[in-house]
Amino acid sequence: MPNVALEELKSSFLSLDMEATLRVANTVIRGDDKATVKEAVDVVAQSLEIVGKRFQAGEWYLAELVYAGEIAKEAMNILSPLMQTGSSQSLGTIVIGTVAGDLHDLGKNIVVSYARSAGFRVVDLGVDVLAQRFIGAVKEHKPVALGMSCLLTSTERELAGVIEELKSQKLRDRVKVIIGGAALSEKVAYDVSADAFAPDAITGIDIMKKWSASA
Amino acid sequence: MNFKERILTAMNHEEPDQVPVMGLIMDTATVNHILGKKPVDFVGMLQKPVVGTQIKSLLNTNRFWKRMYYDNFAGALGSAIKLGFDANWTICTLMRLNRDSQASLGWSWYDPYGRVWDLGRDAEGNLAVNYSRPLCDTEEKWEAWVAKRASLFETMIKNTASFHKKLVENYGAHIYSIGYAAPGIFENSWQPIGFVNFTRFIYQKPEFVKRVIAFQTDLYIRNLDAVMQSGVEVVLGGDDLGQKTGPMVRPDVVEKLYGESYRRVSDFVHQKKRKFVFHSCGNIYALLDKFVEWGFDGIITMEPTAGMDLGRVREQVGHKLVLIGNLDVSYLMVSGTQQEVEDAVKKAIGDAARGGGYILSTSHSHPLVDPTRMQWMVEAAHKYGRYPIGN
Repeated sequence: MPNVALEELKSSFLSLDMEATLRVANTVIRGDDKATVKEAVDVVAQSLEIVGKRFQAGEWYLAELVYAGEIAKEAMNILSPLMQTGSSQSLGTIVIGTVAGDLHDLGKNIVVSYARSAGFRVVDLGVDVLAQRFIGAVKEHKPVALGMSCLLTSTERELAGVIEELKSQKLRDRVKVIIGGAALSEKVAYDVSADAFAPDAITGIDIMKKWSASA
Repeated sequence: MNFKERILTAMNHEEPDQVPVMGLIMDTATVNHILGKKPVDFVGMLQKPVVGTQIKSLLNTNRFWKRMYYDNFAGALGSAIKLGFDANWTICTLMRLNRDSQASLGWSWYDPYGRVWDLGRDAEGNLAVNYSRPLCDTEEKWEAWVAKRASLFETMIKNTASFHKKLVENYGAHIYSIGYAAPGIFENSWQPIGFVNFTRFIYQKPEFVKRVIAFQTDLYIRNLDAVMQSGVEVVLGGDDLGQKTGPMVRPDVVEKLYGESYRRVSDFVHQKKRKFVFHSCGNIYALLDKFVEWGFDGIITMEPTAGMDLGRVREQVGHKLVLIGNLDVSYLMVSGTQQEVEDAVKKAIGDAARGGGYILSTSHSHPLVDPTRMQWMVEAAHKYGRYPIGN
């Protein structure tokens, strides 16, 4: 029989009602309901996945995707302050950042937020990241995937530079590389020898989930 | 027909002698290439301690700023004339230079609305700017920011009026100089606050969001009025409402928040007997019907990298909107072959130019856009764009 609190958590989340979502999360934390914290965390992660699917289907828009990410972040702050990832299962580590010379981070931050909720451990290097920092993070964290964001076509060459450096340090076959950003395309991914291009954050996470499953 | 008649005929959805070609030239790199000027290492000079301070003082005086900005667009118009364009856009902005520890090169621009623009170099060392972050991430900060900037907004409006008038006076006999009132209401409302914050406020502080939009709408209409004082019959305006895969905000929410503002803009421009062309980057199919409903006369951009296909746009809106743009600036106009440029021009003309209502242009400005490719674009327009357009 479905748990009422978990049902309410899901429906309030998918109605983008932050106040109601956080109220239910607090109910679970206090033990006022039979639902466990782990179940509530999974409901948030599943709800976020539904939001992602709606975005991919063109039913929901960027603002809703962003706000759902904010609700998830606050709910996770209540439900799992000590957990590394939002989900109760771990899909491995991803390293992510915006390439050198580029300060755009909206798309990257959406990936970070949704990837954490999906169960990835995310090492977010921030913006304007030099090639050596990407390389250092790959060596240190041994991620399933390296994600590079690049909004400006003028900084596209940074993508190729990082991938060349991975090759020269014999790290390229140890990590999958995914790129995303407004001016990028499948063609750019091919040109710079990335493994994949993500037209949006959710598709990027889907791709990395597949990589995680086959790792 | 001369350039002006060609543009105005196309704007009336009638067939001119040939498809007009418009330049979106504004980047220093592009202007330097076309006019044979050497790049100036402005950022390098700024990084020298004493010189940097002097440049900051100089640039932050309105007189010098106006001169520098005017010279930049005078160069853009000169370049467009040299390449044979019928029109080019012109944009006036006002910024103040600041030392900034968060910026990649230690300097950034602050604009009057509350945005930070990171200051960087393009591939050749020319100055490049990109929106980087908001300065007003709370309601209190936004209120305080705009309250303190009343005189700066007045300066901005005066600069805008004199900038466009002077460009038209000096170049209007040779090219159609179309003023662009930028940035628009949507960008001016969210960018100074930040997209994540603004999204939260849409749900949590709707009255504040309404107040921000009302303020920006009033200011924007004054800005448009200043641009239109040049006397040019067409005015550009707008916002980037789209991102790579669709609108940034649900269309019915855009209507609820901004519909009245955009209708006011169209009505205001039409009262002045001008035409309003709206610029929006990104994938905007879901908003095209709104643009018609809000009274826009045309749209400019239609980015292929965001999936915008000119033929599909024409099919969706018919001749309710003039279409300007669509030639790709990520590959085609940067490193495409002459044949590829010619093919793209032929396709664009075939997709959108029958019956008038189409002005050929790149989908955006970009420092990497190559003048030779622009020249090919103009030549191909002359070759394939003569009316009547064949099948």
